[in-house]
Amino acid sequence: MFWKVFIPVVAFAVILGWGLPLAVAADLTKANASFEVNKMGDMSDFDPNKPVIPTGDTIKIALVASFSGPAALVGQIYYISVLWAAHDINKRGGILVDGKKKLVEVIKADHMGKPDQCKKICERMVLQDKVHVLWGTDGSHLMKIINETANKYKVIAHNTASLTDDLQDATNFSRYAFMSSFSTDQIGRGLANYYGQRKKEKKFYILCQDYMFGHAMAAGFKKGLKEFYPEAEIVGEDYHKLFLTDFAPYLTKIKAAGAEVVYTGDWIPDAANLLKQSRQMGITLPFAHIFLDEPNFLHEVGVDGTKGLVQLSQMYTDNPYFKTPEQIKYYKMWNDLWKTKWQAPFNTKLFEHGGGNIGSYNQQTYWLLSVIERAASTDPEKIIKVWEGDTYRFVNGKTLKMRPCDHKAIQDLYVAEFVVPDEQKVDFNIPPHHWFTGCSYAGPSAKIPADKVLPLMDEKLDRCKGKNGWGE
Amino acid sequence: MTNKVSKWVFWLVLVVILAAYPKLFGLYYTNLFVTFAIFALFSVSFNLLLGYTGLLSFGHAMFFGAGGYGTALALKHIEGLALLPAVLIGLLSAAALALILCPLVVRVSGTAFSMLHLAFGELMHVLALKLRNITGGEDGIGGFPIPPVSIPGIVSIDIRQPENFYYFAVVCLGISLLIIWFFTKTPFGQIQIGVRDNAKRIDYLGFKVPQTKAVVYVVSAAFAGVAGSMYALFQNLISSAALNVLTSFAPITITMIGGVGSFFGPIVGSGIFQVIEELTSRYTEQVELVIGLILILVIMFAPMGFMGAISLLKQTWFPSRTARVALKGAS
Repeated sequence: MFWKVFIPVVAFAVILGWGLPLAVAADLTKANASFEVNKMGDMSDFDPNKPVIPTGDTIKIALVASFSGPAALVGQIYYISVLWAAHDINKRGGILVDGKKKLVEVIKADHMGKPDQCKKICERMVLQDKVHVLWGTDGSHLMKIINETANKYKVIAHNTASLTDDLQDATNFSRYAFMSSFSTDQIGRGLANYYGQRKKEKKFYILCQDYMFGHAMAAGFKKGLKEFYPEAEIVGEDYHKLFLTDFAPYLTKIKAAGAEVVYTGDWIPDAANLLKQSRQMGITLPFAHIFLDEPNFLHEVGVDGTKGLVQLSQMYTDNPYFKTPEQIKYYKMWNDLWKTKWQAPFNTKLFEHGGGNIGSYNQQTYWLLSVIERAASTDPEKIIKVWEGDTYRFVNGKTLKMRPCDHKAIQDLYVAEFVVPDEQKVDFNIPPHHWFTGCSYAGPSAKIPADKVLPLMDEKLDRCKGKNGWGE
Repeated sequence: MTNKVSKWVFWLVLVVILAAYPKLFGLYYTNLFVTFAIFALFSVSFNLLLGYTGLLSFGHAMFFGAGGYGTALALKHIEGLALLPAVLIGLLSAAALALILCPLVVRVSGTAFSMLHLAFGELMHVLALKLRNITGGEDGIGGFPIPPVSIPGIVSIDIRQPENFYYFAVVCLGISLLIIWFFTKTPFGQIQIGVRDNAKRIDYLGFKVPQTKAVVYVVSAAFAGVAGSMYALFQNLISSAALNVLTSFAPITITMIGGVGSFFGPIVGSGIFQVIEELTSRYTEQVELVIGLILILVIMFAPMGFMGAISLLKQTWFPSRTARVALKGAS
């Protein structure tokens, strides 16, 4: 009799206590807010070369990035992504905050890739320009400084592009910092999961940049291989300094090691030099990566040299890429302006589609603006309250959730293999049925469900103690 | 007598302005002043070599970096270490590095000295990148604890507050400048000027030139180390960027702009450097290009820098009595 009562009671408690929250938490199909193309303003006058930037009593976003030095192109990528979102919101009339409709002002803040300059420019933005948000950046070591400054002066730090998990760990966590991008552990484990399912290649060579991001990328991949593909072998591992111009010594080692895939987290300009030099040296190995999708240098390498590259992206989805008329409308809005209006540097192939990393930075910015709108305030405390645990749907239908305890985004990830132009229609399902004709690009994609690649959670962080991977 | 009074008034006004600075100019400019103070000290230490001894170093950042890393590592690994010993460790780290190098470098001068320092500077930079377990590589060492300035039982000041750090930086700069000033005014300081102007003559006079250079070299490095230590504390971060060639060129540019050979030249130069950087970075992303252009103009039209130009103007507009007599005699 006892067991007849006890077992159902325990089972019921388990379902209520653990199962139900898990089922709710794991649901990324519903979103608190979503990007709605039909609500967009008239974007026909958007021109990143001649930006219309409001001043005065505005919602101020400091775009902290490299606008000079070897990574200046990265700053331009961020700039157009954020500016687009700001322009759209401004054309809609702004956002109602603190009882008043305010326009969005984007301020360039050049950190030049230097830590001291980064601190200085962030302080200038907060103390002089009175920005509400510090948006960044290229370089996890620099994002750390941005987060620290935000924490010190109590403004929001929005991390869309620095991917190291350490930024949100117990040592570095700040309530004011939100990481809406994917992170190194997710990337490494995601790609390992992909290769573990594919089981085609077995020998991997890790080549990353020699700083916290590169090492974290490698650690994530090694951890992922142990978890999802234990029979795989790492035949070599190297770390090179940032902005290297000669990859020949590393490429020679890769060749000698008998690798079948090169795993790298290199970003521009390293990514470009690495790929170009490998093909020049006759090394045709595929690269598993997240930043080797810049079409200008892919075109320099050509169709054959780029075939077989494997890219994990936070903007990819299931095939095909275009799923709704609204998404097509949004794409055409961007693409038409690119064709007809924009000048250098925004008229190159890099900016043609507005997808990939550009699309992701852009949509992450829309998420930030949506949170501010729903908080109806620029008060960081109110923004934090809305953003923690929030879910937001991107233009491509993908939903992200902000894990409340450590402010990291949970999302499904997708891995695409680069295929020749004729085969790109599997993804690019509208005319002209290919992304590019001069290089291989995203074709068939594979889903890595969010629960397989939940962002790393630091159990030492008090806020996360006793929480599951969804932060519930 | 009047001259003496006006000097006292000048120093009094300066002290009052410095004391009221954070309240007058706000937090942002207070932080800018700290950066100015750090680079002023770094450049004054560099000028001990270039201006007073005639030794152009392309690798002075290695002492700056050594000071920064010394302090950061000490604070990271020694629990409960107080602030002043941490700064002292920074000073000693840089001085120790200079002591290791000086048997080799004091026997050369001119181009050889410059190039040797370029090489050693790069070596230190690469070592900082490669010894990631110790130095943190490209990321550097950050987030180390910053203890308060404390006199047990009397006072404890948290220098993590920008205003407090400002006063700490001003005191550090003031004490360091005083020591360096008196160092240059000692008979030994006069010998170093002799080494600059005519090393052979100093040798013939019975002074030991390499040993003189070694002392100046170590003192210069030690104060560059103090600047590096302050830099690490201010940023709460020290990375390999502090050791790279651009950091080595900063005191060269500052000293050239301010005035080589003048004690106050590098201090003024640091101020001009900060103002130029602050103004140009608001309008262009090519700050280094602007500073480079200014340096070219200074070298071409005012080779003695700002202080040289000032003394030239003084001579033109307010010729001294002696000068007037000399002019009369000449005419």
